[in-house]
Amino acid sequence: MNKLAAALTLAAVVVLAIPRSAHADEKVLGTITKIKMASGDAALAVLQDGTSGKTVEITVTDKVTLDKFKDRRIVEGDEIKAKYEKKDGKNLATFFKKPGGCS
Amino acid sequence: MRFSPIVALLAALSAGTALATPPGAPPAAPAKPAHPDNQYMKEHGYEGPKTCEVCHPGTAKDFLQTVHWKHASKVTNVKGLDPAKEWGMRNRIYTFCNGNDIVNNLKEIPANAAGKTKFAGCNTCHPGNHLSDVGSTGPAAEQAIDCLICHSSHYDYSKRKPYKTADGKVAIGQDRSVEAALAVGKPSVKNCMTCHESAGGGQLIKRGFAFDAAHDVHAAKEMTCVDCHEAKNHRVPTGFDPNNWANDGVRLSCVGCHEEKPHNDAEYDAHTAKIACQTCHIVTTGGAVAKDFTKWTKTETGFYEPSTIKRAPSDTKPVYAWFNGTVENKPHFIGPSGARADGKSKIYPFKIYQGKAFYDRGTGQLLSMDFAQPTANGDALAGVASAAKTLGLNKIDPVAGWQTVYFANSHLVTKAKALTCDRCHTPTGVLDFEALGYSKAEIAKRKLQSAELWFEKLLTKELKKEE
Repeated sequence: MNKLAAALTLAAVVVLAIPRSAHADEKVLGTITKIKMASGDAALAVLQDGTSGKTVEITVTDKVTLDKFKDRRIVEGDEIKAKYEKKDGKNLATFFKKPGGCS
Repeated sequence: MRFSPIVALLAALSAGTALATPPGAPPAAPAKPAHPDNQYMKEHGYEGPKTCEVCHPGTAKDFLQTVHWKHASKVTNVKGLDPAKEWGMRNRIYTFCNGNDIVNNLKEIPANAAGKTKFAGCNTCHPGNHLSDVGSTGPAAEQAIDCLICHSSHYDYSKRKPYKTADGKVAIGQDRSVEAALAVGKPSVKNCMTCHESAGGGQLIKRGFAFDAAHDVHAAKEMTCVDCHEAKNHRVPTGFDPNNWANDGVRLSCVGCHEEKPHNDAEYDAHTAKIACQTCHIVTTGGAVAKDFTKWTKTETGFYEPSTIKRAPSDTKPVYAWFNGTVENKPHFIGPSGARADGKSKIYPFKIYQGKAFYDRGTGQLLSMDFAQPTANGDALAGVASAAKTLGLNKIDPVAGWQTVYFANSHLVTKAKALTCDRCHTPTGVLDFEALGYSKAEIAKRKLQSAELWFEKLLTKELKKEE
């Protein structure tokens, strides 16, 4: 029994010690405080997390969302639900939309 | 189409451009002529329909009679409707959207548990200013039309948001800038899809895919919505869809552009007598497959949404049924009417959607819902009560029930992945011949589920491809 408990404890320690995958998506629901069009194919959006109040800078590269920045379908002040992955020191958006709603 | 000297000049200029294109490069698109009266707007500014009417007199008044403004029309192909009345998003009660423009009118909803509120309502996409709302008429309505939301390629969508006027009414803003007006033209895909992609409670919920090159062969050829849905006097042609009732009295189908026998293959062409083009050329479908309006789900925003199951565009296989353009309309079923032997029906593909909502126990009829209360606090019955009050229904006894709705599959068209003989004519093929009215004896006699029917043909085709 003691051996089993020790094995389970060791397994738990190993699992907790393994770093989470670098590609696991982070989520945020927040308000856009700034949009900076970096170039034709990228933009930087600063989101203030609605819960923690912390800000996060997210790099957006998908054409559909960039187009929404350009024609102001998404503007500063809008609430956004975003997912991103950390890569090369940047937070790259994998999902960036206004929350759905029957409106 | 009239062939004016200007068109001839443009054609000559574009031909010149094509000649100058380097070998191997795709020819440059012909330059789009500027709207001829931009100079007028540069000099006089843009004041909405009043300005448009300088050159297009009577257009605003005429537009007020279209489905885009009324969200309704007389409907002659749906059973059980009063043909003298108008039906559509304005007043329909069904389970894809359990609200409508009347009961779920745009308003500021009650605060949620966190004290947050927002503007919400079905008529948010109506191309007016909400002060002149769905179906309104008269001079104020004519001047409230947001022409540029459909016709400008430089529309600032941040201006099109609901707000409260000084006297407390809810209005929707519009971009009436000269910059937007100078970019006027035929509606682009974006102009259409800004509203149409958001149908049913959020982006891509209804169908699950965008009209883009990745999802439709027409979009891949850079066609736009209005290349097929080519409006005349703002009356937009539409196909027959059990789910979509209102229409401008103008219909379209594939044969408006394609021939009736387009395959260069006699056997495939013979199929067109009984098989709709969509059946072979739209092989999957997507978007919402079920919603529960009796049970709302709290989202991370602190507001609630109808509980929804949705699927990617390739995840849902269509079901196939005979359809002659008329629609069965019962409290628990909205779907195609038709039969193999009626001489008018063809086999069409559909997405089956199931929605749960409240019915009145006494009448058996489906009830509608105001979304304001459930969006704020998840209380679906409060929404039903509010809608009943708006409609003047005094005694209702809500009981939950399901409704099945057939959606026509009209987009997501493919040529490369179209169904071939072996996809239907096998024992496990996509068509359920018995359900479609073929007897076991006929299926066996005509070898409808046998490779005998198609093996040589497909083998010859495939060998030719390999060559």
